[in-house]
Amino acid sequence: MGKKLGLSMRGRHIFEGYSFISIWIIGFLLFMVIPLGKSLYFSLNNLESSKEGLKASYAGLTHYRAAFTTDVDFVPLLQSTVTTMLSQVPLILIFAMFSALLLNRHFPGRTLFRGIFFLPVIIASGAILRELLEQGAAQLPIFYQYDLFSKLNAFIPEDILEPLLEYADSLTLVMWDSGVQILIFIAGLQTISPALYEAARCDGATKWESFWKITFPMIMPMLFVNTLYSVVNSFTKTDNQIMNHIMNNVFKSNNYAYGSAMGWIYFIVISVVLAIVFFIFRKSLSATEGRG
Amino acid sequence: MSSPSMTEKYAGLQGKAEEVWKVTWIKRGRGIIGTIFYYLVILSLAFVFIYPLLYMVSKSLMRPEDVADATIQWIPKEFSLRNYSIALKEINFWPGLLNSSIISFGSAFLQVISCSIVGYGFARYRFPGQALFLAMVVFTFLVPPQTIVVPLFTFFLDLGWVNTHLPFVVPALLGHGLKGSLFVLIFIQFYRTLPNVLEEAARIDGAGAFRTYWMIMFPLAKPAMLVVFLFSVVWHWNDLFEPNMYLLVPEYFNLAQNMAFFNGNANLELQQAASSVSTGTLGMAPTLQNQIMAGVMLTILPVLILYMFTQRYFVESVERSGIAGE
Repeated sequence: MGKKLGLSMRGRHIFEGYSFISIWIIGFLLFMVIPLGKSLYFSLNNLESSKEGLKASYAGLTHYRAAFTTDVDFVPLLQSTVTTMLSQVPLILIFAMFSALLLNRHFPGRTLFRGIFFLPVIIASGAILRELLEQGAAQLPIFYQYDLFSKLNAFIPEDILEPLLEYADSLTLVMWDSGVQILIFIAGLQTISPALYEAARCDGATKWESFWKITFPMIMPMLFVNTLYSVVNSFTKTDNQIMNHIMNNVFKSNNYAYGSAMGWIYFIVISVVLAIVFFIFRKSLSATEGRG
Repeated sequence: MSSPSMTEKYAGLQGKAEEVWKVTWIKRGRGIIGTIFYYLVILSLAFVFIYPLLYMVSKSLMRPEDVADATIQWIPKEFSLRNYSIALKEINFWPGLLNSSIISFGSAFLQVISCSIVGYGFARYRFPGQALFLAMVVFTFLVPPQTIVVPLFTFFLDLGWVNTHLPFVVPALLGHGLKGSLFVLIFIQFYRTLPNVLEEAARIDGAGAFRTYWMIMFPLAKPAMLVVFLFSVVWHWNDLFEPNMYLLVPEYFNLAQNMAFFNGNANLELQQAASSVSTGTLGMAPTLQNQIMAGVMLTILPVLILYMFTQRYFVESVERSGIAGE
């Protein structure tokens, strides 16, 4: 093929590379670049639907301003979405790491337990989880069945206890959200050579020490991937309130322009959060890269 | 002279042996306690994961009388499939199953092929602009669907693709669609772990770039394929967002949509029942819930069965597919 086109070896290599990813580039243009551009255009204009289709007239940043000034729901919803994300992502990461460490040992019944721990990946995404939540199936019965609140209240003041129990209640949700993360951590743990642990043991390191000196630095990249994944997942979940708010604006009141503007604000917020994540991990990631 | 020292020595040795025994027993005891503790922790976590499933199965098999009976917590006195037969009709099971299957399996199949081709291109070739395109793959993953949903909808509307399966299938064919960029990244990681030797041999034997890929490299990517396929099927199956966008007529609804519809109706009925207590319809509420549970079970049953059969390979594949990234 390359010979016919009269390309050099290098040229042919580049041509072949591009032909492999060409389908992705077409898709990228059709389903990402054009829609993104259009939605930016929508968000900056007033749209009126007429017989010829949508009619646009330039409106500047009106819609962006409206989101913060006239819309009473948007800012509180955005705040609650961000706080949920901030409280849940660390928990998800800790829990996923803990589970991965548990599952990474060799013990009888390992395959079965792994199968169970990945169950959330299979059933807990999307609409089904919402059904369960509405029916209260995702909350463990211990919290309300044994009247834990009044019993613990004798020891702990109410101000501390209430948020604590709320946290514990959301813990089951956290567990259900951490399926993919457990998977990524396990795959990461598998790549650590056992020789490292042996060497550490010979030098008299305890398990606790070898976790912090070997395991933790070695799975730093997976921690980074998982943080990114959890943040994105938390922002784009189906039961996300911001998402519903945007959809309501677009499809119930047909306010395409305002919906697009909110979508862009939301996107910018997510980008800022992700940039912070990148910044936090930058140092530790470059450290592991240098060693590898 | 020598005999007392011998006995002393013997006694000393015996003492030492006893000490060694003690230490090993303590160690072993600790090991046993550790193991018990370990199993306790992992069992309780596993229980949390299984709990909703058990809850659903139990509730869905109960008859109205069992729900009212306070002595029955988990196991109904008589297993009844009545809830299932009602739910089967309410969620429009068979047409929904067909639509869900076409969307899920069709998209998953196409995504496996297209994403693996793209992933291979990124993993094995060096070309100008590669870093930029790779960054764009990650970028695609990060853009929330809400941001571009309006233009996409009008785009598909103009093409006349709304109320067909094309908005799911065509992006999948081009390596996009639901979480397509994540799948591309998985394949990139996997192909990077494979040695170059095989391709070089094929190229020397005169195979072209695409032929080498298709005959040699693609079949080697089975672990990554399995992971991507299963993820794609499951995520498409449970997805409600995109179907709600592009499938607006009940006859094209997938199972998740039908289920949401049934749930919405049921909740409405519950509210009405609650507001008209005097008519004595209070008994309705728990029964309806059981029907919803049966509906949810029916909705996830196909993927659950798929997972049961592939679970073993799935877990092994995850370890070998290099999903963990760098």
